[in-house]
Amino acid sequence: MPPAGIWIDGLIQSCAYMTMAFGMVLVFSILGILNWTHGQFYMLGAFVVYYAITAVGIPFPLGLLAAGVLVAGLSILVKKIIIDHITGDLYVGVATMGLIFFFEGAASMIFGMQDKGLARVLPGVVDLGSFSVSYQKIAVVSFTLVIMIILFIMLNFTRIGLAIRATAQQPDAASLYGVSVERLSLTVMGIGCGLAAMAGGIIAPLYTINPFIGGIPMIMSLLAIVIGGLGSLTGAIVGGLILGFLNSVVAYHLSYLSEVVLFMLVVIILLVRPQGLFGASVK
Amino acid sequence: MLELKNLWVRYGKKAAVRRLSLSVNKGDFVTILGANGAGKSTTLNAISGLVKVKKGQGEIVFKGEKINGLKPGKIAARGLIQIPEGRKLFPLLTVKENLMMGAYLRKDRKGVQHSMDRALTLFPDLKDKLNADGRELSGGQQQMLAIARGLMAEPELLMLDEPSLGLSPLLRQLLAERIKEIHREGVTLILVEQNARLGLMLASYGYVLENGELALQGKTSDLMLDENVKKAYLGV
Repeated sequence: MPPAGIWIDGLIQSCAYMTMAFGMVLVFSILGILNWTHGQFYMLGAFVVYYAITAVGIPFPLGLLAAGVLVAGLSILVKKIIIDHITGDLYVGVATMGLIFFFEGAASMIFGMQDKGLARVLPGVVDLGSFSVSYQKIAVVSFTLVIMIILFIMLNFTRIGLAIRATAQQPDAASLYGVSVERLSLTVMGIGCGLAAMAGGIIAPLYTINPFIGGIPMIMSLLAIVIGGLGSLTGAIVGGLILGFLNSVVAYHLSYLSEVVLFMLVVIILLVRPQGLFGASVK
Repeated sequence: MLELKNLWVRYGKKAAVRRLSLSVNKGDFVTILGANGAGKSTTLNAISGLVKVKKGQGEIVFKGEKINGLKPGKIAARGLIQIPEGRKLFPLLTVKENLMMGAYLRKDRKGVQHSMDRALTLFPDLKDKLNADGRELSGGQQQMLAIARGLMAEPELLMLDEPSLGLSPLLRQLLAERIKEIHREGVTLILVEQNARLGLMLASYGYVLENGELALQGKTSDLMLDENVKKAYLGV
């Protein structure tokens, strides 16, 4: 058994992957596209939190909120200026791939390429006998939980949540009964990409920050939603959890081989269940 | 109440509906008949806004106002509701949520509750299934839910697209009774049917489409006796 600290690191990574994968699935289920630039929104979220704390001096939770809101706004612009003017899922995919380089380049110019790190915003640890957990890590897990609970309530008990689920399942009927699919797409783009930013922001105080940190989480959350079942929100959460733990626990044992094991596992899951763990024939 | 004036709908170069004009008065029960691909569903989709009617391709007037070019939701808000072909239920929403989606644009809670009660009186089978997912219902129940969902929008004009598709003769009979009841309650109806017999039996006026064009129109009692209709659609 790996030490408890490794499991906790796994949980922390799970939090980021879950939040990010959730956003990707939301966007996919309404807009029908995979947003390849999701990882760069994650990176931008980390930078917003970094500067919110170091330059502006606002508390971590507010910085996190700012990351979500600013990147949500940015993603809405991306949709209006770029995505809306391109037809065909493949071409939209390629366009958002291009944006990866745009955002990484822009971030390098504006923020610089060197690693940045936040001092622990919440110093102190909880002693649990054989091991201890920092308040910072507890905060990460708590924030993720709060975000997930808010999303759950929004999706299941509000009018917009009903509209989102209905549109994901049957867009024609939803628009027949008055859902403006265009407006809903903008909202969902904002929520989904805002979530990516918050995922990046949540773990910003624990890892180094630079313009290129978006790639790995993007691949991980993509894998998460593929093994979870493309289009399934539950699948995104479970997939994110699995990959977060695997990534840290397998890496502890196998070091550089861990990616190989990870991909093999994904292939095996897909061989057994091609639709993913929670994917059904209908969304 | 509803008027189509010289309507054309094209998919690419192919015209699915050509120079179609028809009118429906308040309280009417009209049926649109025709073979597969005759343009019936396209006509309904154009009216409800799901298919865009391009500029200069005719006019759709509802309650005195031009509605072509409006978004489907805006058209629904005016009381013109379509029950789409193939039901198009929300498979993973509960029956109750499916019904609530029908009332998506309505703000009057009391009115919505009243519509819900009315819909469940009309389709009592759904009452025990309110918390079941849409996909768990039988084919007949799904069609009933599709109609009940449409009623939740408080339609003045209701367009039904092939509601009898895939139903057993017995269920078709039941469906016919329900549709008659909805009409008796004062809803103006347009019924699109491939099952010409059902359409002619229920409605009082009929339009027959062939290759996207109006081939014939008249009182259903006259159409039923028309030799061409008999041969082509009733198999007599």
